[in-house]
Amino acid sequence: MSQQAKRSLLIAFVAFAGLYLSMPALAQVDAEAAENVFKDNDCHKCHHATKAKKGPSLKKIAAKYKEKKLDEKEAIKHMTAGQKVKLDDGKEEDHKIIDTKDAKVQTNVARWMLSH
Amino acid sequence: MGQRTASFSDLKVKILAATVAAAVAAGLVACAGGPTRGTDTSGIDWSKVPATKLVLFYPGKSSYEWLRDPAAHKGAASETARGDSCVSCHDDAKEEQRQGAKILSGKHPLEPIAPPGKPGHVDVAVQAAFDDKNVYLRYQWKGSNDIEYPYYRFDGKEWKVYGGPRLDKPVQEGMQPAIYEARMSLMLDDGKVPMFKEQGCWLTCHEGERDLNPATTDQVKANAAMQAYKKSDVRKYLPASRSDPSDWKTGKSLDEIAKIKAAGGFADLIQWRAHRTNPVGGTDDGYVLEWRNFDAGKNHFASNLNATTKQPNFMFDAAKFGTKAVSADQVRTKDNFLIKGANAVPFDPNAGWKAGDMLPRYVLQPADASGSAADNKGYGMWKDSLWTVVVVRPLNLANPDDKALKPGGVYNVGFALHSDNITTRGHYVSYTKTLGIGAKADIVAVKQP
Repeated sequence: MSQQAKRSLLIAFVAFAGLYLSMPALAQVDAEAAENVFKDNDCHKCHHATKAKKGPSLKKIAAKYKEKKLDEKEAIKHMTAGQKVKLDDGKEEDHKIIDTKDAKVQTNVARWMLSH
Repeated sequence: MGQRTASFSDLKVKILAATVAAAVAAGLVACAGGPTRGTDTSGIDWSKVPATKLVLFYPGKSSYEWLRDPAAHKGAASETARGDSCVSCHDDAKEEQRQGAKILSGKHPLEPIAPPGKPGHVDVAVQAAFDDKNVYLRYQWKGSNDIEYPYYRFDGKEWKVYGGPRLDKPVQEGMQPAIYEARMSLMLDDGKVPMFKEQGCWLTCHEGERDLNPATTDQVKANAAMQAYKKSDVRKYLPASRSDPSDWKTGKSLDEIAKIKAAGGFADLIQWRAHRTNPVGGTDDGYVLEWRNFDAGKNHFASNLNATTKQPNFMFDAAKFGTKAVSADQVRTKDNFLIKGANAVPFDPNAGWKAGDMLPRYVLQPADASGSAADNKGYGMWKDSLWTVVVVRPLNLANPDDKALKPGGVYNVGFALHSDNITTRGHYVSYTKTLGIGAKADIVAVKQP
């Protein structure tokens, strides 16, 4: 391999590593596992990926978090605290609590949701 | 008298009865591992009719009341109560598989006694066709060859029920074997039943019914409406039949029920049964309003117990069946169908009955079936774990207890499958679908030449 080729390879590696490290959330999401937990907890009954149901779509939630510079910790709090949520008709309901206390699972779900 | 088509005339019923008689007389009994007879005489080339794959799932105790209970159906009770459709929330591509598996997980409140290993869903392929006379529905699913129904067993003194559906307590406790017939059912609405399009069969499933915190015999006896209906237990009913739809005890008067029925506010119920109708080429015709009723006329089967003597009405003709009764070791070894005009003779109490003799709880009556109750026909065949069932429903029925199927019509339908020796809440069900008779729908019946 020529020196120039080695240099190109090194640059590509450094660039990829930099990109990888700058997006930890996306890089570490197991989307299939997250979606399964999400649906096993019936979250999908209120939250669709793109369209509004009883609750906002995942796309809208992700956009809101990005705009307000919130991260997965806030999302985990939302899915574990059972806090009140306001519905379109003005009524309030307790948000469902996810049935796992495993922080890794919760984090994976939160990151997957915010990746929409 | 129900409308009958030329292809299903009385003559044909007699021919069918004679055929059954000849088969039984010739000793043509199928072993449990072999195919169960049933001939599709529709003449339809089903390979040219598209199949719709339905996924039916285990609902457990998800009654009308459960759906509206904020503590149970969390986050969806008010939506359900206002009439939202089930699939407005349950819209995932794998929804039925997911819900069925959860309910049968063994730790879900909707099924506290989940039968071990029972799958949460069953795939059913549905095809539909129609010609100038009938609509034909063909179902295929993988399942066990459940062609028997519980028996009456002589214990030396009395005839007592032997065997039962899997959820029954004696079966759960291992005191009785699980015995129950396979069934494929269709509940149908022509748009006149409020909320059927949205919530389908769940409108009919209520607390108080069998296996849903059942009402006691005394409670039913003490209820004026149930006595007016002449019923001794609570079965499926529609919300409109009650002042409070969530309380079976609030049944409306017979006059009010008659008005609802006359306005078409009932659901048709078409049930193919592996034991009680299939051997004689029949399919139930019933309807749901204040109860789960059979249509007027005579059904394909009748109770084989004399209410006065508490003894069977019929026994096997030993000359044709081989023996006058069966025993427990003969269960699932042959076709133990008791059929008037073929292998049944009047019960003889002095025939030398011994403890352990068993007779079917129902006698089949192909020649007696008549009226609106006998409108539907059906043929089922089980082979290599696959059931293939064809149900035949005449077009344009004009009976007051039928929904008339018409070319161009679109109907709201719910499907239910009883499989693995089980009944009541142990069946599999579908979310509401649409059936179009040559019209756009989830399931389209294809016009035959």
